Amino acid sequence: MAEGLFDLVLAGLLLMLAGGALYGRSLYTSILLFVTFGLVLALVWARLGAVDLALAEAAIGAGLTGALLFAALARQGRAPEGEFDLACRRRGLAAAAVLLPVLWLMLSSLAPLAERDSPLPELALAALPHSGVEHPVTAVLLNYRAWDTLLELAVLLLALLGARQLGSGRLDTARPWPQLRAWNAHLAPLLVLVGGFLLWRGSSAPGGAFQAGALLAAGVVSLRLAHLLPPLRWSFWPLRLLVLLGLALFLAVAAAGAWLGQGWLSYPAGWAKPLILAIEVAATLSIAASLSLLVVGERREPAP
Amino acid sequence: MNAALLSLFAPLAGGLLLVLWRPARAGLALGVALVSLLAAAAALHQVADGTRQWLEVGGWAPPLAIRLQLTPLSALLLLFTAGLHLLVAVYAARRPHAIGGADFWPLACLLHAALAALWLSADLFNLYVTLELLGLAAVALVALAGEKAQRPALDYLLLSLAGSLAYLLGVAILYGRYGVLDLFLLGEQATADAPTRLALLLMTLGLMLKGALWPLHLWLPAAHSSAPAAVSALLSALVVKGPLYILWLLWTRLAPTELAVQAGPLLAGAGALALLAGGWAALRTPLLKSLVAYSTVAQLGYALLALGLAMHWQEPRLEAALWLFVVAHGLAKVSMFLAAGELQHTLGGKRVVTLKGASQTLPVTMFTFVTAGVSLIGLPPSGGFLAKWLLLQPLLERPQHWGWALAVVLGTLMSAAYVFRVVAHGFDRARPQPPQVRPDRFGQWLTLLPALLVFGLALIGERMLPWLEGVSR
Amino acid sequence: MSTPLFWLGVGCVLWLLGLHGLLTLRNAVRRIIAINLMGSGVFLVMVALAIRERPGDPVLVALVVTGLVVAVSATALALRLSGQLARARKGDA
Repeated sequence: MAEGLFDLVLAGLLLMLAGGALYGRSLYTSILLFVTFGLVLALVWARLGAVDLALAEAAIGAGLTGALLFAALARQGRAPEGEFDLACRRRGLAAAAVLLPVLWLMLSSLAPLAERDSPLPELALAALPHSGVEHPVTAVLLNYRAWDTLLELAVLLLALLGARQLGSGRLDTARPWPQLRAWNAHLAPLLVLVGGFLLWRGSSAPGGAFQAGALLAAGVVSLRLAHLLPPLRWSFWPLRLLVLLGLALFLAVAAAGAWLGQGWLSYPAGWAKPLILAIEVAATLSIAASLSLLVVGERREPAP
Repeated sequence: MNAALLSLFAPLAGGLLLVLWRPARAGLALGVALVSLLAAAAALHQVADGTRQWLEVGGWAPPLAIRLQLTPLSALLLLFTAGLHLLVAVYAARRPHAIGGADFWPLACLLHAALAALWLSADLFNLYVTLELLGLAAVALVALAGEKAQRPALDYLLLSLAGSLAYLLGVAILYGRYGVLDLFLLGEQATADAPTRLALLLMTLGLMLKGALWPLHLWLPAAHSSAPAAVSALLSALVVKGPLYILWLLWTRLAPTELAVQAGPLLAGAGALALLAGGWAALRTPLLKSLVAYSTVAQLGYALLALGLAMHWQEPRLEAALWLFVVAHGLAKVSMFLAAGELQHTLGGKRVVTLKGASQTLPVTMFTFVTAGVSLIGLPPSGGFLAKWLLLQPLLERPQHWGWALAVVLGTLMSAAYVFRVVAHGFDRARPQPPQVRPDRFGQWLTLLPALLVFGLALIGERMLPWLEGVSR
Repeated sequence: MSTPLFWLGVGCVLWLLGLHGLLTLRNAVRRIIAINLMGSGVFLVMVALAIRERPGDPVLVALVVTGLVVAVSATALALRLSGQLARARKGDA
């Protein structure tokens, strides 16, 4: 009963924040509500027992997306929007009238899904001793479905390439307040530590490359905003190498497997654990570098 | 299978190298495309007799792992992708104005890799990741054109994301219902109940949005016409075919026959309307590249019509027609977009009327446009004709199907009209538009190459047809 | 009503709310928020399906982690594009 009430409150809060984020009066309010939405969603994941997701959502969903949104707001300025006039309201009502029946259709056809079970979780647990890691989610990400993860690193790289060639993404960082400087000088090493811990823990418990990478990126971003780091430039080749490291290592392992007859992305017997660990470390560094470049990367250099 | 993997590995690794290491971009990209092409040819040779090869990634048994499949069709598509990338890369290396910036090279390589991964995948979630990869690469390439392309690029990105999220919701529902993600395992279990219907509906809408299939095509003309010429060529010829391929997999491999038979007429109807609406818009637009982009909308209508009717009648001949359309349209459209870019660059105007006298000033390019146009219209002896013939045969067999045939004929007339509209301006020699820069001979001949290949397709067509019919089973 | 079914419903509502925003709003940043809400809705559906068994289905959780990274990448690119557009508009004015 108490649990049901808690669910109800969480869901109500979630939907209200979502509505507010969409239709808030000013863009600033909207973004603030959206970041809060991310935090509540992290709570929901924790409530539903998905601790991996709660960590990832708090770091990636709420933290980094929030930073990106506020950076975009800073670039855009607070221009009057001219949103929410009568025409817009009419459009909104019309769309709602269309979507409500869709909701009913969805809910009525999803009801039978609540009580089924799938064969995959048992298979995943049964194969766990041979996967090289102890945590099932990490095993899925880096062993059973490693091909998805490899391609997803490529997605991140593409976003970075796309954002980079759009030219200056520089934030107009004013001189930071002294307090922020002092705070961040302490906060950042802590974030790095926590990130490292998450990475290390990921093989046996919730945590892993993405959560750790996102935390590291948050550390780098806060250091950069406090002017404690030099500008991050794409033209600096070690940084480029860092961005590519995870994908390159992953691809090399995949290709070596195919070449040596193990098969594409198959880890040789006994090598699974060290290889997965190496890939995870490289992926963490790449994710951290890519995400921090996406948030605080400096403008492109003149084309060669 | 290793050959197919090499065809995928080469562009991915090449893309990474190009990001890291700048000089000799074009040379490296050309080498990558060539390696990929040869590997794809080897893969096609391995499966040419109609066999199917599987690869279980990571060596796990199917429901747990992702499976990759190499069928004759996916090998053909690999070959087609690598070939077009090679052609465009040769052209782009020669004509730097057509690419918009040095970032074209790594992005094009990654686009190539995304397509190759898509053709090989047989897992619903993996297909989602490849779709996102494809979408982001395409958006980044469109944005290469600079400021004027940013609005279309953003619209393209947002709609493409909405499409993928609809697809992903469908994948989640299917997984919730059947507990597996492998396409063929799902196909064995699928029954026509409410969750399956909902999932297929969501996935179909999402893919139609991503593939610019009528009526969800509205983002395409702006995005394809504002991109640099080489990018437009890749987008129209290849990128929109990715979602179409998944749609085909979904409805012929996964969906229960009963549902496919019911949904077929809807898709076919959308295709027929796409033919008319796209053709009409192409007739009306004042801009040359918009005309070519709208013609893509119309031509995708043929493919959708073929898919819908193939589902409705369970007719393999129509599936062969679908893939022949895809290949013929891809080749013709590469030629057409490159020619349009060449005309625009040399004559210095975006409008169709600036082509006045182009048959005199740029004869080879104009000839290219006409040659590609002939295949789009479907006149013999082009690849387009072959595809259309294959499509019309089952339609003409029974009088009750003549309505569909009428739509095809109307679409053909419209495409003839918009191609002729360009040609008429080109041959209007009264007051020719003077070229702004000196025409480049070699570049002009390069644009002609794919259009000639479409006619080559017709030469080997007789041997290809039975093969294609077998392939699509 | 069981817990998975409840959260399935909430996920669907969230997805549709995002879709509604995407269809009706014009401001680029708001539309990007709308897309993110749609994404959160799908992830909620997936996690609701994952908790049908005890302990939760690791495959679905892993898929959501992958989805999250894809979503944040796309959001970053979209926001950069919209910022560039806003800057161009300011330059015109």
